[in-house]
Amino acid sequence: MTSAQDPNSIEWLGERLARKEDLRLVTGKGKYLADIVIPGTLHAVFVRSEYAHANITGIDLSEAESMPGVVAIYTGENIKDRINPMPQAIVQPNLPAKYPTFWPLAVGKVTFHGEPVALIIARDKYIAEDASELVLVDYEELPVVLDPEKALSRNSTVVHEKDGTNEIFSMTFTGGENEEAQNSNEAEVNAIFDSAPVVVKERFKTHRTGLTPMEPRGVLCDWNESDGLTAYITTQRPHIDRLALSDILEISAEKVRVIAPRDQGGGFGVKAPFYRENIIIAYAAKSLGKPVRWIESRYESLMNVGQERDQINDMEIAADLEGNLLALRNKGIADNGVGTTGVYWGFVMPFLGAIELPNAYKWPKAHISLKVATTNKACLTPSRAFGHFPTRFALERCIDMVAHKIGMEASELRRNNLVDALPYTSVTNEYYDSGDFLKVWDTLVEKADISAFRKRQSEALNDNRYIGIGFGCGVELSGVASDLLVPMENQPGYGAATVRLDPRGKVQVFGGDAPGGQGHETTTAQVVASEFGIDPAAVVVTTGDTGTTPFGSGSIGARAGSYFVSAVADACRELKEKITRILAYDLKIEARTEHFEFTDGEVIYIGDRSKKSSFVSIVERIIMFPINLPENEVGGLDATAFFEAAKPMICFNADCCVVEVNIETGDFEILEWMTTEDVGNVINPMVVDGQMHGAIVQGISNAVFEEFVYDDQGQQLTADFENYKLATAADVPNIDIHYATTPCPHTPLGTRGIGEGRPSSIPGALTNAVCDALTPLKIEITELPLRPNSIWEKIQQAKQP
Amino acid sequence: MYPAEIKEYHKPDSVEQVLELIANHEEGESLLLAGGQSAMQAIKSRMLRPQCIIDLQGLQELKTINDESETLKIGAMVRYCELVKSSSLNNNFTGLKDAAAHVGDRQVRNRGTIGGSVCWNYAAACTPTAVLALDGNMHLISSDGEIKVICADDFFLGPLDTAKSESDILISVSFKKSKTRSGSAYKKWGLVKDALPVVGIAAFVKLDSNGSCCEARIALTGMGVGAQRAAAGETPLLGSDGDPQSIEAATENICANIDAPTDLSATSDYRHQLIRSIGTEVILTAFKRAST
Amino acid sequence: MKNIKLTVNGEKFEEQIDNRLLLVDFLRDNLSLTGTHVGCTYEGVCGACTIHLDGDAVKSCMLLAVQADGHNVTTIEGLSADGGLTNLQQAFNDEHGLQCGYCTPGILMNMADFLTENPNPSEEQIRHGLIGNLCRCTGYVHIVRAVKKAAKMLKDSAHEDRT
Repeated sequence: MTSAQDPNSIEWLGERLARKEDLRLVTGKGKYLADIVIPGTLHAVFVRSEYAHANITGIDLSEAESMPGVVAIYTGENIKDRINPMPQAIVQPNLPAKYPTFWPLAVGKVTFHGEPVALIIARDKYIAEDASELVLVDYEELPVVLDPEKALSRNSTVVHEKDGTNEIFSMTFTGGENEEAQNSNEAEVNAIFDSAPVVVKERFKTHRTGLTPMEPRGVLCDWNESDGLTAYITTQRPHIDRLALSDILEISAEKVRVIAPRDQGGGFGVKAPFYRENIIIAYAAKSLGKPVRWIESRYESLMNVGQERDQINDMEIAADLEGNLLALRNKGIADNGVGTTGVYWGFVMPFLGAIELPNAYKWPKAHISLKVATTNKACLTPSRAFGHFPTRFALERCIDMVAHKIGMEASELRRNNLVDALPYTSVTNEYYDSGDFLKVWDTLVEKADISAFRKRQSEALNDNRYIGIGFGCGVELSGVASDLLVPMENQPGYGAATVRLDPRGKVQVFGGDAPGGQGHETTTAQVVASEFGIDPAAVVVTTGDTGTTPFGSGSIGARAGSYFVSAVADACRELKEKITRILAYDLKIEARTEHFEFTDGEVIYIGDRSKKSSFVSIVERIIMFPINLPENEVGGLDATAFFEAAKPMICFNADCCVVEVNIETGDFEILEWMTTEDVGNVINPMVVDGQMHGAIVQGISNAVFEEFVYDDQGQQLTADFENYKLATAADVPNIDIHYATTPCPHTPLGTRGIGEGRPSSIPGALTNAVCDALTPLKIEITELPLRPNSIWEKIQQAKQP
Repeated sequence: MYPAEIKEYHKPDSVEQVLELIANHEEGESLLLAGGQSAMQAIKSRMLRPQCIIDLQGLQELKTINDESETLKIGAMVRYCELVKSSSLNNNFTGLKDAAAHVGDRQVRNRGTIGGSVCWNYAAACTPTAVLALDGNMHLISSDGEIKVICADDFFLGPLDTAKSESDILISVSFKKSKTRSGSAYKKWGLVKDALPVVGIAAFVKLDSNGSCCEARIALTGMGVGAQRAAAGETPLLGSDGDPQSIEAATENICANIDAPTDLSATSDYRHQLIRSIGTEVILTAFKRAST
Repeated sequence: MKNIKLTVNGEKFEEQIDNRLLLVDFLRDNLSLTGTHVGCTYEGVCGACTIHLDGDAVKSCMLLAVQADGHNVTTIEGLSADGGLTNLQQAFNDEHGLQCGYCTPGILMNMADFLTENPNPSEEQIRHGLIGNLCRCTGYVHIVRAVKKAAKMLKDSAHEDRT
């Protein structure tokens, strides 16, 4: 249900309201998963595979089992006939792909370094770890598959033998639905390339990196015969987890409740899949009839999750000498790892990345294809900028290279080719609903003042200093429509919210998606406060408990600002209609909802402002004293609204950064970072700023400092923070954010969902700036991570005659 | 994640008690715990499984800095944060301050000690490198009461390997004060700020009355062998006043004479380039500090 | 096992504990002070577990609980002496210096100590002081602003006390 913007509801929107969450969080009173205490809880520790690919020839549990304090030990062998294996439809996309069979503990063989092999349950977590050391597993090593291109070749060892291939997924995204149309499109694209005046062809590589929320994962399960299973999970999508647990463990759905703790230490996509650990911990709790808790260590986290972006893109752009882009050709090869994680199976990320590849540019023609390879590494996990970090890096770099070849400013080339009229449908059939890309771009370019920078740059060069400027931009998802989410993840995209008034005029809001720090309690309260003309302090928001909230597919894809708050607004408006109907009746006036103003705790008839009621008293009257009502009206004030946008929606941003490169060492410093955002109407500017800062720094950290490294035996070498380096405050710059917004016409508040895809334009912009600084040496960087060592090597190569 | 079983924990008040505790245990059973910022990583990952931990926090006598006329004596339990604040380290020993100010982070510096750092002698560590360049002397007492003084050149043997035996305690690190002008500096490079050094260089120079270098010591870390002397870099500095050519010759000599590994952090060639770049800066700073 | 006596947030405790129990686990599990968080395994890099030991900011995952015997520990729950918000906590609220809040107690404990030593810090000093605290959500921009604001609030209130 959508409606045009309501002129009443603007007071609290746009307010830099300090967050309601903060009071408990700054005093250490937050309640995260590890803070939840159920008396009698047993502790779980996983024994994990030491090898990347090996048959399990024996597991000796005798010493571990006899340790005092050990209650139970599970292995793949003893659970495989008791737990349904994956795949399960509820956590499987409607996409043609290979879905390997797997159980939560390895059965028969292990396929990546860190795969769970056994689960120890003990009375104390220290003892559980002691016992885990006593489990003896015999392995027979198998050849490891590590290179995605080699994995796709005919003679490669196959990781999942039953599937017969390491090609888990492949698709062509342009030209149409059937192969004939795609081939004929490809032929047309080839023809354009054959005759184009300017062609840039390059292989771009992005490394394995992703997101690491500061709170690792955890599962706490409690079982009793009458209520069934209560599972506390660090999850972004409790409603989906609930259905999956029900299906897999064959517990009737009404006896499964999943609760995402009110406070979660970040998600960023890492807490969006349905994980093996959920299954086996729930199973253990049910089998033992006791609460069981698993808290992930950082080591486990870095071994198993947060790995994404591992991709090769063989990209070509055809253009003319005036700076018009003519065609795009891209063949992507993604390294999926083992692919055995529910919901995404790893490949859904590169799938979406290929769809989003065209970005904000008008491509007359394109041929975009993707192959996803299984290797003996951890499965890819969604990471903010879901899927399109590698494709965006490749595209934004390639565009700069085209500009260099033509001899024009890269920012001008971009502007020439930005989509200039919306709505627009991309060559991969992605719908861009609204916005003004040129307004955003021009706002940024004005702030960047390129001609002034070029002067600065040439003066610096005279001083033997190398500074550079780089641009990037990103069209990002604002929520995920059912049209995309049903095929992609087998789940609905609508937002849902229950708004419940009480007789004291306070409001409870219930939402099924589970946030991890985005400030939903505050922004939701601002929306409700604005609708009803009350104070945000009167609004309490409950999320993430399947026992009390309406269905939601999860805190994913920037759903909150797009779908969830829209459902909240719609539910409020439904209630306002009822309130005004009854108030008009009580006041004995003929009036409709639009004739009333909800403001400052009152509901006032605009035609005669002496005719009004306090919000509290009319609400109390309707709930507590439902007599003398209009005909066919009953008491109560509770509404649940479901919001599905008329069209899939987007938001847009553009980045510009200035760097200085030390030519002696290849080290570089980011001198300035500025961005312009179209985030639609803003509910809380502080919250939006914070989302942008966080995303940009994540992008920088991913591009420069972080890398998951596997050696040639598939041993993962970066499973602690000494080796997997995150940016600290001393490593990143301040960020200057500007806004050039257009309200979204498809949401009741004109808001857009923001923040999910934001990191994607960072690596391109940053690398573009470094290459721009090194223009005298004609250096083009096509690989991440962006490290001083590799920059220095390129400088040395360029200096050679 | 969690330590293996620790059978005994002691926090003695005196050096004598520590020595007695060590003597009462088999070799390899006990561990002396100073700040714990390195040892606890090893204990929690179970790389180390000490049966008996002897916590040195109770030894107040090891926590002082004695600034005497000829010698600066730093107690083994003096923390990095105290080194950073100490004016006794100015003039000659600023290089040690440079190192201490950028170890880890401020929480680490509130706890980690100079003694712990030199005895642990991690493969890539700042403090041993600075101590080596400043020609520090390690004062040890062994369980039989014998007092040993081992100079830095003889003390640092390799990664996690020093001349201190298990039955010794390090009491202090001392430095001879120079009678003529001298200066020192330390700098490192890592991928993120203040990370463990991929390359770390410390330089110490002493000037005669004409302002010419009469003594130079350069130490290096990050090459995978712990803190090491880079004597090849010292010779070109002798007799110079810190001119660019001499410094360039110094860093080139170091590169020519010291093997740099290639690993996840950097290539061999890049380490050599960092030696040139950081080495130049550090030597220049040492000269500048010596002349003021 | 060892018997330890210590003061935590002004309250005296006497407990019997295992030698190997980490201080962070003692605080969280034995004393139910769950405001101190665990964000890494053994490496002690993330800083979410930062507390005050005798007034100094240190990482509680890098200490055995037995080492706190005879000492004063302050956790985030005890940062405010009177139960209201300290200037630092208020500044974080004002400047949106936190999102998920997981790293926040560690940052507040570290910065409270930092500000006593650096009452007038530059941005560079603040960023350097924050190296021992990883944050994933905020990108640090608002955190730095909050610390700057707190420094100003402390200076102003000190000035008020004197006049």
